[in-house]
Amino acid sequence: MSFSPLTWIRERVPVGPEQLRELTNEPVPNHLKKWWWCLGGTPAYLFVVQIVTGILLAFYYKPSPQTAYESVRYITEEASFGWFLRGLHKWAATLMVAAVVLHQMRVYFTGAYRKPRELNWLVGMCLLLLTLIVGFTGYSLVYEQLSYWGATVGANITDNVPIVGVYLKQLLLGGEVYNENTLSRFFILHAAVLPVTMAALIALHVTLIRLQGVTEFHFRDEDRKQPAFFNFIPDHLLTELSIGLVLMVLLSVLATVLPAEMGPKADPLSTPEVIKPEWFFYVAFRWLKLFSGTLAVLSMGLIVFLMYAWPFIDARIRKFRPQSEASVWIGIVGALAIIALTVWEASVAH
Amino acid sequence: MTLEFKRGVIAFLSAAFLVSLLFVQWREVSRRAEESGHSKPHINVPATSVACVDCHAQSTPGLVAHWTGSKHAERGVGCLECHEAQKGDVDGFDHYGAHVATVVTPNDCGRCHADVAAEFGRSHHAKGGNILASLDNFLAEVVEGNRGPVGLHSPTPGRAFVHANGMASANTGCQQCHGAKVGLESSDGKILTVDDFKPGLDGKPTNLDAVARVVKDQNGRPKFSSSTWPNTGIGRINLDGSLGSCSACHSRHDFSPRRARQPENCGKCHLGPDHPQKEIYEESKHGVAFRDLLGEMNLDADEWVLGKDYTGAPTCASCHMSGNVRNGGRITHDPGERISWTNRPAISLAMDTDLDHKIVGETDPEKRRALVHDTWEAKRTRMQEVCSVCHSTEYINGFYKQYDDFVVLYNEKFAKPGLRMMKALVENGLRTKADFDEEVEWTWYYLWHHEGRRARHGASMMAPDYAHWHGMFEVAERFYMELIPQVRELAEHGREHGKAAEAEIVLALVNEILARPEHQWYERDLAKMRAERGKEPK
Repeated sequence: MSFSPLTWIRERVPVGPEQLRELTNEPVPNHLKKWWWCLGGTPAYLFVVQIVTGILLAFYYKPSPQTAYESVRYITEEASFGWFLRGLHKWAATLMVAAVVLHQMRVYFTGAYRKPRELNWLVGMCLLLLTLIVGFTGYSLVYEQLSYWGATVGANITDNVPIVGVYLKQLLLGGEVYNENTLSRFFILHAAVLPVTMAALIALHVTLIRLQGVTEFHFRDEDRKQPAFFNFIPDHLLTELSIGLVLMVLLSVLATVLPAEMGPKADPLSTPEVIKPEWFFYVAFRWLKLFSGTLAVLSMGLIVFLMYAWPFIDARIRKFRPQSEASVWIGIVGALAIIALTVWEASVAH
Repeated sequence: MTLEFKRGVIAFLSAAFLVSLLFVQWREVSRRAEESGHSKPHINVPATSVACVDCHAQSTPGLVAHWTGSKHAERGVGCLECHEAQKGDVDGFDHYGAHVATVVTPNDCGRCHADVAAEFGRSHHAKGGNILASLDNFLAEVVEGNRGPVGLHSPTPGRAFVHANGMASANTGCQQCHGAKVGLESSDGKILTVDDFKPGLDGKPTNLDAVARVVKDQNGRPKFSSSTWPNTGIGRINLDGSLGSCSACHSRHDFSPRRARQPENCGKCHLGPDHPQKEIYEESKHGVAFRDLLGEMNLDADEWVLGKDYTGAPTCASCHMSGNVRNGGRITHDPGERISWTNRPAISLAMDTDLDHKIVGETDPEKRRALVHDTWEAKRTRMQEVCSVCHSTEYINGFYKQYDDFVVLYNEKFAKPGLRMMKALVENGLRTKADFDEEVEWTWYYLWHHEGRRARHGASMMAPDYAHWHGMFEVAERFYMELIPQVRELAEHGREHGKAAEAEIVLALVNEILARPEHQWYERDLAKMRAERGKEPK
């Protein structure tokens, strides 16, 4: 009897084509034929890009104040394709934040967070915050003037949180001030703790989607005679692959045309005239400039809490006013405020 | 609310977000490019300077371009911040609605850079204009030129000169490095300077009679004396009484720190036969390394601290002015703070300075101690801090021992005897009191002012060829082959013309000097030869 590798594997992994089809080929609602409804997969795709490019960058990166900047300079100027990898990593981070925001807007305005998907909204919120934190820690690793002072300012902001602020700051910096241990702490968070947590949450996010199914939308202009669903494989898979290819081209172009630059090396004795965080913190930075320290931090904390709790608040509102669309109007105001504050901060030097 | 409406909301907000993202990324990328030096920073012309920039971009585009590339422009320091004059300033004039002055003095720079201006004001650089009453200036004003117009020998075809300006050599030579006494034209044909205006502490003239005599053009602008302006000499004596010119090192309008850090900047003045510091630097290992490692010098760094921002090589600025990791990055605008010997005079002096930063000449140890405010040892320690960024203590001490030995050898073997002979000649009436009217005075001047300085500067900056061949070799040749014979000749000439006693004194001094062990080699064999011939001199 001849040896068949396929049989050998099937005997040990008892999953056949039927089970695989069942596992992967869930019916997909028709609106997902349009690519702009499919942006939920984009952050996941970019997350994979970040993992791959991050591992390659970690081969060269040395997380200590004495070596960090030089190792990033080595990656950028000397290592083969190091500049390209760094560019991909940087732009993928930017696009990842953008994709998460776009995805969350879609989920929010279509009410896709409502029962029974409240828990998945909470998971999504955690992923949003983790995406921002992983961006913050990554930016700090470069150890250039602005990233150093950005981290210092970030730590000082947490210091404004009543009662626990001082401990949060110590947890972040590994001491009272930015010190020898801070960079290694940021590195471990950025390259291990946060990605592993995110990977687990992404898995949970996808599992919950699979268990609950994708929210179905029925637009008036739909052909009712057509089936309401289509196959995941190959139709939706091809859409996702197409988006992935476009993203890869976009990332390559951005990394080549606008490569990641290096500012001056961090100097703890010289505070720069202008300190700016990464762009996705512009909204928070502007907010902090508008209000005093503790008030700004507490109000931001309240906003984040309200965002977490929104499915439950919305449910209470709709319990009393079932036709209420308050969430849409609140969302419009909120989104416009975020855009306006971000553009404001980007427009001014100080 | 329909699903289609919500779809529209999502589309609108997503588009708004993406457009804002493009804007934010454009700003971010521009900012990063500026930080990394890959693009010029965005310049916001201050409101008070918009009219100046618009007009001068047409009339003097290079000037505006220089300013546009400057840190000043980057930080919103415009034209009026430097050029604005106060009512009553002797050189102020109304110019399209603003009251401005052409010359920007250390007092003007000091409005923002007060500490730097004060430090510079104490330095030897700021006092460079004091040469106006020196031997060097006598050379330029009298020997090379004339303190007054020089009549024409014959017409110059094609040109209609009335006379030659006797001060031309001093104006374009000495004063462009040392600094001129800036002057305005007077209605009586003279030149009005700080001596006439007698400015008070606020820089405003107190002699209003002199102010009334200032000649102005049709626009009311005071006319500068062309023999004193333009001038960017480092010790310029300004109309407001301040000393110096910041633009001597920092260049006008672009105020480039990068340029001030490079040896070529100092080389405008510190070169040539009498103080070739730039050439000496280029011969030294420091200069060789600088040329090789220019790309690693990080010349655009904000602070440019040796040992932190760069280590490739030290430049003039590194050793004499800039900060280093050993001194906490402290910059000085008084280059004398780190110099332990002054090799400028005929005889090198230890740089013990008093409260006014003048070298203490007192020889009594007790009195000297009371007068000295900053010792040569303290100055040397400051310089050694620079050295120690790259060199061990043993290495540095070894170098300074070699340097001290060299200077002391020059002083004792040639400079002090030479000066004694020159003084003896004049004290005994064997040469005139006027400088440069006798060959021996030129000989002596070459010996200490040119060759002696070259030798000492060569030793101070580790340039062996300048220390030896362009230095001590030529000092020795000048001493033995020219100075000694010329002094003897003058003595013999005096003896023949009724000054036998005086001649004996000078000849005795020469013999005393030559009898010292270090000079005995010179006439040992010559004396034997002359004795054999029965011609030994008395």
